[in-house]
Amino acid sequence: MALKQLDVRGAKCPIPIVKAKKEMDALAPGDQLEVIATDPGSMPDFVGWAKTAKHALLKGQRTEKDETGRELYIHLLERK
Amino acid sequence: MAAALELGELLPRLDRGEKLLLLDVRNQDEFESWKLEARRPVETLHVPYFDFIEDADAALARVPRGRELVVLCAKGGSSDMVVDLLGEAGVPARNVTGGMLAYGAYLEAVALPLVAAEAARFSLFQVNRRGKGCLSYVIVSGGEAVVVDPSRHASWYEDFAARHGARIVQVLDTHIHADHVSGGPELSRRLGVPYFVCAGTGFELRQPVAPFSDRQRIRVGGDRGVSIEVRVIRTPGHTPGSTSFLVDGRYLLTGDTLFVSSVGRPDLGGHVEEWGRELFVSLRERLADLPDEALVLPAHYAGSGEISAEGVVWGRLGALRASVAELQLETPDAFVDAVRGAVKDPPAAYARIIDVNLGAEASDEQISEWELGKNQCAVSARPARA
Repeated sequence: MALKQLDVRGAKCPIPIVKAKKEMDALAPGDQLEVIATDPGSMPDFVGWAKTAKHALLKGQRTEKDETGRELYIHLLERK
Repeated sequence: MAAALELGELLPRLDRGEKLLLLDVRNQDEFESWKLEARRPVETLHVPYFDFIEDADAALARVPRGRELVVLCAKGGSSDMVVDLLGEAGVPARNVTGGMLAYGAYLEAVALPLVAAEAARFSLFQVNRRGKGCLSYVIVSGGEAVVVDPSRHASWYEDFAARHGARIVQVLDTHIHADHVSGGPELSRRLGVPYFVCAGTGFELRQPVAPFSDRQRIRVGGDRGVSIEVRVIRTPGHTPGSTSFLVDGRYLLTGDTLFVSSVGRPDLGGHVEEWGRELFVSLRERLADLPDEALVLPAHYAGSGEISAEGVVWGRLGALRASVAELQLETPDAFVDAVRGAVKDPPAAYARIIDVNLGAEASDEQISEWELGKNQCAVSARPARA
């Protein structure tokens, strides 16, 4: 089981989900993807997307601050 | 880039009731908590943008054909993608430039229909920030302008005054706003003109402000022989420093003290008892000597039902004295009980916005995020008055 990271800091919607979907489709079932975003709107967007996504299961979400104090929104996804 | 539609074209068309179909592609939470509104009902279809990413064919199949279609999202990026996808599927559509972020910043001015004797001396404009339900005012007389409760889009007010042949000489805030960041300090700095706000007890104001005392009069436009008077009236309660301004003896800019169908929330500082009693006194006594003919011009409204046929949010003081439920309450206890029972939790960003309005620094991006959504400054958001 692999864990991949996707850094979409600074990207606005729809970019985080466009990129996450592309990554998820390429993963093997059980693999995980951690998406690091700076757009607060990504929190409800990932929840909404995962509800209907064929290959992505949302395992968790958390917020952190990066070294500059910027808020990070981190989404953990698992390939179904 | 997809074909774009500016709000300046879209909103008047929706107000006239034109039959556009609005495709809102935001997530469920955002869609439910804050919608684009017009004077007439807006026909809206909600399909989140990530449905187009996940299964474009299925999402495209949900969009009716043969309609004039405009696509809306939070900031204009996702709707741009959806317009492109629709275009590839042979469905023409246009993207609402800037999305709800632009809607929340959109300002439109309406000139109040003054009587001839007034119109010879001054103009009074109500500036409607319709996405948030915020109202600000520009008073123009003799080449001078006073701006009251400006939103943070300072250059809009500069341009507006210039278009009306006036220079801004004074900026006033009725109170420390909790729902939006004031443009007052920035306008004051940029133009080198005095700024007034009263924060009141319990707040540490870090902005330089011009001193004003209760019942003080400000003259505007005096150097050209035309002038009007703005009287400062302390009306604490919504905040301890809340101030109303009486323009030319007739137009009462009440801030968040009195709206056309409710009163301001006295609970945002966590002192609903104390501030509620102050608000009761302000409404019952501080405004008591004003005639029924005075016209109330508030800083907020709750819905398009509060906009009059002239396009203005206003009410005769006498009519509001009879119709606003909270003004019918006879005792401070009954008033405090009623307002305590009616208010909801303040939105999370209110404390941060208050802090910025007291002088704290914040980035444009942060402020944009905090300002999202409609104001919730009234005790109750009842529908239209009759």
